[in-house]
Amino acid sequence: MGFGGCLNWKSEDLSLIDTNSSYAVKPEHIGDVRKTRFKLRPGRTLSQRKWQSAFSEDGHLDIGVVLSRIQRGGVHPSIRGVVWEFLLGCYDPNSTYEDRNRLRQRKMEQYGIWMAECQRMESTVGSGRYIIKPVITEDGQPIQDLSSQGGNASEPGEKTVSTTENSQHFEEALAGTPPLEKTEVNWKRTLHQIGLDVVRTDRALVFYESEANLAKLWTVLAIYAWIDKEIGYCQGMSDLCSPLVILLEDEADAFWCFERMMRRLVCITSLCPIVD
Amino acid sequence: MSISRRRTLLKVVILGDSGVGKTSLMNQYVHNKFSQQYKATIGADFVTKEIQMEDRLVTLQIWDTAGQERFQSLGVAFYRGADCCVLVYDVNVLKSFDTLDNWHDEFLKQANPVDPSSFPFILLGNKVDIDGGNSRVVSEKKAKEWCLSRGNIPYFETSAKEAYNVDAAFLCVAKTALANEHDQDIYFQNIPEAVSETEQRGGGCAC
Repeated sequence: MGFGGCLNWKSEDLSLIDTNSSYAVKPEHIGDVRKTRFKLRPGRTLSQRKWQSAFSEDGHLDIGVVLSRIQRGGVHPSIRGVVWEFLLGCYDPNSTYEDRNRLRQRKMEQYGIWMAECQRMESTVGSGRYIIKPVITEDGQPIQDLSSQGGNASEPGEKTVSTTENSQHFEEALAGTPPLEKTEVNWKRTLHQIGLDVVRTDRALVFYESEANLAKLWTVLAIYAWIDKEIGYCQGMSDLCSPLVILLEDEADAFWCFERMMRRLVCITSLCPIVD
Repeated sequence: MSISRRRTLLKVVILGDSGVGKTSLMNQYVHNKFSQQYKATIGADFVTKEIQMEDRLVTLQIWDTAGQERFQSLGVAFYRGADCCVLVYDVNVLKSFDTLDNWHDEFLKQANPVDPSSFPFILLGNKVDIDGGNSRVVSEKKAKEWCLSRGNIPYFETSAKEAYNVDAAFLCVAKTALANEHDQDIYFQNIPEAVSETEQRGGGCAC
């Protein structure tokens, strides 16, 4: 569809489905989802063994060998997460194991700091739940019906309490409280939008039957929206983030991969050099 | 046979908050199926459907748009040349009803039709199937009052999931858009007649 097609990714376009159990499709959706063209090719696919042998003793990675394997036969599903960390530039192939451990430690800490910042503003962050209903009005008044989800969230946006009633109710409670910063209001206004999209992301996959996994995707996007105030959250980002949340078990690792991916995408679209 | 086998292209734009079921409604109407698979719509997308109305073959070009507020800035490009605007809200989500004013006004502002006061809108209250109607927070009466206050906009309660009232609603969309097109013809006699495709498909009537 030319340019128009670039604006819209439909469910079939991200071919996520393969033999890896991470991508297992719910039985009722088999047939709805297009099959992957990926095939394991012995001697071509980057296998776990080949991957491990591409590192030197102190951890330098021969990225050339790895890339040529990937180009010829793809990556074995069992190592896709760690491979993406290098492909997206989270780690420098020329670094050592020790360098990377230190860097990862710092990244974990930084993620923890941002998580705590967000938690102070909205307690749902990091609680294993997520939000699908507005928590704040456009003018920054909290909406009482805290709609954190953790249970049955199959239908997005069930009941909402009248916002006018609530703002009246909260006027008293908030008397004397300084108004929220605009950046905080803007961030809070995106939280339910992220939730609405999270429950619609790759939902044919068994992975997202788990509330914890839905919350993981929501949290990564919510924290990203806080640290990148210019982009915040934009529909479509949940689709980009989802494979990383599936492939990287640790939430902070998934976050940093997504952060790198966003940085690269922004650079590609704005033709700026990628700054490390 | 009648000689006036005119082919007409009508552009229809679907607007409303995120998650109210715009994509589902469109696909239920065009492909007669409901899927749990839809993702959030990014930017906009369109599909076409041909229907026979009296002696005319009408091609509906239905534009499905993203519900996230920030995509509204793309409106000028997507709304221009529309013959009808379908507003959708979720009867179970009050906010999606409250924002109708905003969608309505923003559409007129950006589409900039010749006569904003008579531009055809249609309102759909979707997801009436949920919880047997027990979770709905916007009554039919309230919705109809809004429609009346906005120049008597036609109103339909729909369920894209159960294919309830979807065909009837879009038939009304086609009729309304067609009527509007007649009006415009008076002022724009020399605007070319839609796109002409040689192939002619039979049937497809939604009546």
